[in-house]
Amino acid sequence: MSIPLAPHPLTPSSLSTTEDVRLGSPLLRRQFVFYTNWRKGRRGRGASCGISCSAEARTVVIGLAADSGCGKSTFMRRLTSVFGGAAEPPRGGNPESNTLLSDTTTVICLDDYHLLDREGRKEEGVTALDPRANNFDLMYEQVKALKAGVAVEKPIYNHVTGLLDPPELILPPNLLFIEGLHPMFDPRVRDLLDFSIYLDISDEVKFAWKTQRDVEERGHSLESIQASIEARKPDFDAYVDPQKQYADVVIEVLPTQLIPGDNERKVLRVRMVMKEGVKYFNPVYLFDEGSSVSWIPCGRKLSCSYPGIKFFYGPDTYFSHEVSALEMDGQFDRLDELMYVESHLNNLSTKYYGEATEQMLKHGDFPGSNNGTGLFQTIIGLKIRELYECIVAEKSVTPLEAAKVF
Amino acid sequence: MASSSSLSLSSLPLPSSSGLRSRSHRDPVAAIVSIPASRWWQGRRGSAVAVAASAARKKYKGTVMREEKLAGMIERKVEEAKAACEGEEGKGSDGCKVAWDEVEEVSQAMAHLRRRLAESDRDPLESFCQDNPETDECRVYED
Repeated sequence: MSIPLAPHPLTPSSLSTTEDVRLGSPLLRRQFVFYTNWRKGRRGRGASCGISCSAEARTVVIGLAADSGCGKSTFMRRLTSVFGGAAEPPRGGNPESNTLLSDTTTVICLDDYHLLDREGRKEEGVTALDPRANNFDLMYEQVKALKAGVAVEKPIYNHVTGLLDPPELILPPNLLFIEGLHPMFDPRVRDLLDFSIYLDISDEVKFAWKTQRDVEERGHSLESIQASIEARKPDFDAYVDPQKQYADVVIEVLPTQLIPGDNERKVLRVRMVMKEGVKYFNPVYLFDEGSSVSWIPCGRKLSCSYPGIKFFYGPDTYFSHEVSALEMDGQFDRLDELMYVESHLNNLSTKYYGEATEQMLKHGDFPGSNNGTGLFQTIIGLKIRELYECIVAEKSVTPLEAAKVF
Repeated sequence: MASSSSLSLSSLPLPSSSGLRSRSHRDPVAAIVSIPASRWWQGRRGSAVAVAASAARKKYKGTVMREEKLAGMIERKVEEAKAACEGEEGKGSDGCKVAWDEVEEVSQAMAHLRRRLAESDRDPLESFCQDNPETDECRVYED
């Protein structure tokens, strides 16, 4: 699959560095391998992008930011599934690898760019949330290299031992997802992102989710779960939370407003805040773009069980950006509710009627499949697909065109 | 809650099935009707259920070792964190927040392992052990 061809326009000297990467273990030299044209070029359809010339496939980079244990992996599985196939850990190699691979996508966990391992962080007195614990220079160089079609040797952070393991080879994929605490923290990395998402979980929901995750574990109690959240909050608020102003989409997960005094947090209110003016990203809307719409689909045509479903759509400002917000409160009980809702949403970037519902069904056992988290994550997957197809359809003339092989 | 009978697609306001072209090989219409509505979304199962299910998936000693190690680490690190945050000096100190961050890290690693065990039929070490059958980790686990 890998065929060294004529060097990439970005010459080797501009990409390789003379300094060796220090990984907290013996010095390791990065090896660059040049890949061109081996990836299947996706011919853009052109219709939704307004561009008809097909060109070189390149790596599209998507960033996803969220606190650990906040459903990011579910999100990632939904996103990668839109592109076909399940993203799985690499076969062979380090079994503690955090990377996921599918035919067209690669998911990199940004914990791999920890500068300090667990012992190191303890000595320095910094949490993993602190930028000082992370190697943004390496993150930038490697994401830049992958985006340019160059493979990298990426470190592996072993979450079991808390050590930095020897690196693994990452080939440039069609679609690269980088997920973690700081995908948008460093401005250079931010500039490399073609699209970015921030998953913003409110404190009440975070507590409910972490309780669900941990309460059966030996040693944990409600108090310890709460203490852990509170102890990490200052660093989280200082270093992770501010990234949401840079995101193209923010998915807010909030307590429901439909059930007075609800503590269970099973029914959720989910708000998708979509930045206006992002290239190749057309926000989803209800009924009339740019207006404010409040919609309760349950009624004569559709009967829902308690507490029902409530939608809201409207323009807004978010950190002084123009945005459109689509909000869903409540949960789906039946397939036809989902279909009904899909048929009333616009700009979903589906390729056929019922595709969003079908995607939701594919992963009916994932958490959030019956509420806005699953629905909006699925929709974001479809939007990313459209964005990806538009980007690769962009008219571009590069020296690689002349060197086209296979 | 979810209805118990399967929904036929003909009862829904859809165009003819020829409009639903799957991007993969399978026919999406068949895929949708073949999933009984009651099983459509099962929500998040408690980790207790996942533990029971995962017992069947553990094939290699290495996986069992990892699970036990993480469980022990969670317990230990919660104790360490409580100790680090004790008193006026401990509370709000760097040591306190780092300790709870470690608790979060191992809790997340444990949840990740449990999910991998619950979701797949293969032991997470399967491909590693195919290449390295002689290592201690790859001894088949006997309950």
